[in-house]
This record gives sequence, structure tokens and C-alpha cells, in this order.
Amino acid sequence: MGKGRYLLKRFVYIVFVFFIISILMFAIYKSMPGNPVDIMLGDSKTSMKPDAYQALYDKTVKDLGLDKPLPVQYVAWMGNMLTGEFGYSTQYKQEVINIISAPMINTVLLNILTMIVVFIIAIPLGIVTAVRKNGAFDKTVQVVTIVGYSIPTFIVALLAIFLLAVKFPIFPISGVKSAGLNATGVEYVLDRLWHMALPVLVMSVSGIGGITRYVRAAMIDVLRMDYIKTARAKGLREKTVVYIHAFRNALIPVVTITTWWVVGLFGGSIVIESVFLWPGLGKMLIDGLLQRDFAVVLTMQMFYVVLSLTGNVIMDIAYTIVDPRVRLED
Amino acid sequence: MQNENRKVLLTIKDVKQYFPVKKTKLREKQRYVRANDGISLEIYEGETLGLVGESGCGKSTFGRTLLQLYPQTHGDVIYHKDGKDIDLKKLSKEQMRVLRKDLQLIFQDPYSSLNPRMTVGQIIGEGLVSHGIFKKGDPAMQEYIFRVMENCGLATYMFGRYPHQFSGGQRQRIGIARSLALNPAFVVCDEAVSALDVSIQSQILNLLSELKEKQNLTYLFITHDLSVVKYISDRIGVMYLGNMVELAPTEELFANTLHPYTEALLSAIPVVDEEDKRERILLEGDIPSPVNPPSGCKFHTRCRYCQQKCKEEVPQWTNVGNDHYVACHFPLHKNNG
Repeated sequence: MGKGRYLLKRFVYIVFVFFIISILMFAIYKSMPGNPVDIMLGDSKTSMKPDAYQALYDKTVKDLGLDKPLPVQYVAWMGNMLTGEFGYSTQYKQEVINIISAPMINTVLLNILTMIVVFIIAIPLGIVTAVRKNGAFDKTVQVVTIVGYSIPTFIVALLAIFLLAVKFPIFPISGVKSAGLNATGVEYVLDRLWHMALPVLVMSVSGIGGITRYVRAAMIDVLRMDYIKTARAKGLREKTVVYIHAFRNALIPVVTITTWWVVGLFGGSIVIESVFLWPGLGKMLIDGLLQRDFAVVLTMQMFYVVLSLTGNVIMDIAYTIVDPRVRLED
Repeated sequence: MQNENRKVLLTIKDVKQYFPVKKTKLREKQRYVRANDGISLEIYEGETLGLVGESGCGKSTFGRTLLQLYPQTHGDVIYHKDGKDIDLKKLSKEQMRVLRKDLQLIFQDPYSSLNPRMTVGQIIGEGLVSHGIFKKGDPAMQEYIFRVMENCGLATYMFGRYPHQFSGGQRQRIGIARSLALNPAFVVCDEAVSALDVSIQSQILNLLSELKEKQNLTYLFITHDLSVVKYISDRIGVMYLGNMVELAPTEELFANTLHPYTEALLSAIPVVDEEDKRERILLEGDIPSPVNPPSGCKFHTRCRYCQQKCKEEVPQWTNVGNDHYVACHFPLHKNNG
């Protein structure tokens, strides 16, 4: 009963916050300088006669509903949003829904792969360094991870390109797939993976650095606990002690970062996407902002709002799974 | 001199346990905390050996060193099992792990010593599976755990609950059930009742004595509470700053105190009867640092009978008869010896 009521409460709260943020965002974007209609019509201003242009301009304004008062525009926008009509991109002259899926797939693919690589490496590394705290291996890993974590991504990216694409051309410098490739099946997948290798590598560097240290700290805390001594005194195998007793208790901080990462899956990185010419959501967002393409930007922003709000609830539920002491109650 | 035919379960010879102190200067000499500085004694089968001493004197370390929970610095711990003498220090990790079935530990703090992510059933059952007493998922195991829980005063419906749902006394019972489920021969009770309030303490003490009778256990009972140790022990050892200073059967120790430190400790037991008020001996100053212990007899800095010899010579560990050992140059007057 506690759980159901709690989730209902959280849902009401999410809806409430969603509307508040949507009003704020709408207001902010509407008050930004720059006229989207001008940008949309672009060259027509110079190539058309002033009268004809004015007529076209008025017609466009009317089509886009920009002549109505702001509250009416908000309600119309919100209504469309809720029914899945995300609006019309003034920049691409297409429905938002049609242009957003390709970069989203690109971004999500890249992020999922990075996440897998990071977790496969960082979690065991964090556990091992915690178990061998202050040993030579641990100290080396500590230095390497702090370096990896601190170097800005674009430097890592340039280094990686220089080494692995220019000096030793193992991976392509940029792009999503080989030009003119007409393969299907396994070959296509391999080509995609080959192009993803460098960006994933670069993104993993800071991720591994951060998460290894996070897991290590959590594990060291747990390994100090008396119940770990109990487990050893029981005569359990050291593996059981470390991986079952200790790691399960170190999971709470790991769940926190994992959840935020899953939420972040849909957020593109402008730096990575620019360096590797990777058409993802980061580039989409910045282009949208520069071009005053509010339909695109607002849709993406609202998507992120929903994502982080639900992410919080998912995290709470995950806590109850990993820690029986956590109860979802109000 | 009594019970010549007692069977020795553990022989402890000159056990030392040092912990390195973190260096503060780069070229400093490595210093050590001498938590146990040469302890020798024998533990007989079926007895309860009480171990007392003030905080930081190395009692808990001694208990844990016996069980090889720390890498032992020096000395031998010999476990006599079925006619064989096993030197625990020389065992590999895996051999020691197997032996842990016989040598168990009950922890001081019932709040932190139980894994919060595991149910009571898992906590008790895990050791059973690990030592091959039951196969994983064996339905007979649950029966067995139920029986152990009932023996320790836990209701069987608590099987699926988590530690945080219990009170301190119940948690300590879980800890006891956990260690006794393996049918050990020797149990170190490391301040097993100190964290509990007095009414619960007596319940747990009675439970421990009862289980001892039932399962023919041997206890090393570590505590700083003299009334507890008097109540439960057959013999009592007194520790000071990493050394054993006196060891005697309980009656003998109380009737015929030989070491000045023991005398001071015993004088601190609260008495109910106003008539019976004894002189309270106050020890002055703090316990010296175990990193840099005093020369000679370690107790000389606080001993009211201290003489020149005490500052220079380390007193020998001697048997003065009646199974009574003491390490002091000038043992107190013997009443009836």
C-alpha cells in the first residue's frame, strides 16, 4: 500500500513540475531575441519584392500561429505536445518528429556502448583497487584515473585521433559510417562499430576515471564494516565476501550514478559530436538554438525534463531493490 | 592442580600481534602498535575463559588473532583436534577457511556485524552452505535453521526478516545463532553483551551458558565488565597493555588477588551493601601508549607498589600454584597460601 500511494504522489508531483517548467521554458524562448520567421524565410527577403515578401511573411506567421497572444500560443503548443504533435521545425522545414529520430538513435547508440564499456571496466577495477587498497596496483590506478578524469574531453579526443587515426590509421577519423557503403547485416554492424570505436574510447576515458574512483570509495567504506569480518569469520570464500557481501552494500552510490547516466543517454555531447562529426542530439540542440528553431529546442528540452523527473522515481525504486532498508513511503 | 585430566583445546605460545603505525616523516623508523606482546596460555575443552582489561589493552585483538583474522606477527596458536595438533598460523587461507567451522566468533556490536542486505535465514544459512553442511536450497536446511533459531530464542517467523527490523538483543541472538549453527568447538565472544542493556545482558549470558551445556562449547569470553566475567567464567585472565598479567580460576582470582592491577580492577566492581564497602583503588593517569610501552613491568607507571626493580626488569610469567599465574615482581600477600 505504501508503494502505490508513494508512486501516485510522485506522479502528481511530476505532472506539476512538468507544467511549471514548461511555462518557464516557453516564456524564456519567446523572450529570446531573433525572429524565427525571418530565419525560416531566409534569402526570400532579398530575392522577393517587398510587398510579396510581406504577404508571405504574414502568411507564415499566421500558419505558425505566432500572431495570437502568448497564453493562447502556450496552450496550443502544450496541447500539441501532449498529443504527440511536436511542431514544425523552421530550420529544416519538416515536422520535428521526423528530424529528431536519426540523431537520437546516433546519440543513444554511442552512449549505450560507452556505458557498457565503462561499467565492464570500472566496476571490477574499483572493486579490485578497494580490496588491494594502497598497494602498488591501486596507487597506479588512482593516478591514471584522476588524470583520465581531469583531462578535458577534446584533448583526449585530439590525442586519440592523432594516435589511432593519423599515426596508426586503425580507426576512421570521423563520421557514422563509410561513405558509399552498401552493406547489410553483419558487415553493416561492424562498419558502424568501427566508426564508433574512437568516440566511445574518448568518452569512456573520463567515465572510467570517475566511476572507478566512485566504486572504490564505496567499497572501501563497506569493507571496513563489521559484517564483512562476520562474513570472513563465518568461513566464506573471499570471493563471496567481496562480491556478494561487500559489493551489494556498495551498490547504492553505483545505482545513483547509473540512473543519471541512463537519463544522460539521450543527452548528446557537443564536444564529441563536433570533433567526430557525429550527427547527434548535442549538435541538433545547439543548431536549433542558433537558428531560433524553437519547436526543436523546446521539444528536446521538455523531453529532458520528463526524463530527469522519471529518472528520479526510477532511482528510488532501484534503491528499494538493492537495499531492503529503503522503503518507499511518504 | 585440580582436574589434571582436562583436555587442552588450544595452546597459545608467545603470541604477538603488532600493527604498523603510519609514518609521519619520510625517513622515520617504522613503529608498531604492540597490541599483543607475547601471550601464552592454554584453553581447556569445555571451559569459559574470561578475558578482562581496560579499553585498548588488546583483548579483542587477542581474540581475533587466535582466529587468524589478522596476519599473526609471532608465536603459535595450536588447535588440538581429534588427537592432531594444528598450528593455525601455518595454514593456507583455504585450510583456515575450512577450519572456521570449528572456531567461531560472536561480535561486540550487533548493529554493525550483520549484513543489512541479507535476511536472517540467509545470514545463518550462508555458513552452512559454505562449509558443505547443507547443499544450497536443501529443504532440510530450513528445518535446521528453524531449530537453531528456536534454540537461540528467535521465533521462526523472523526467518525472512532483515537485521534492521530487530532490536539489539534480538540481533545479538541472530549473531549467536549464526555462529552456533556451524556446531563449532570454540567460540570467541568478543564483548558479546557489552552493547546491550543490563536486562538483555543477563538473558544473553544465560542463553550462552545454556548453549554451552547443550553443545559442549568452549568460550573465550572477552569483556571489560567484571561482574559479567565473574558470573560466566571458569577462569579469568587479566590483560594490561598487550600482556597477560594474571590468570587464575575465578574463585581463586577473587579470593587471592596477586597482581596490583587486578586488585585495582576488582576494587572497581560496584557493591550494593554499604557495610561491605572496600577501599577503592584509583589508578592514576592514562593507559600508556602501546607504541612506546614503559620499560620493565609495563604497569609500573601506575602501580602504587612500584619499586626500582619494576622499572628495569620485565617480570616473568610464573605459576604460583593452584593453577594461578601472575607476572609481577612483588605479588600481593597471599591470604591462605
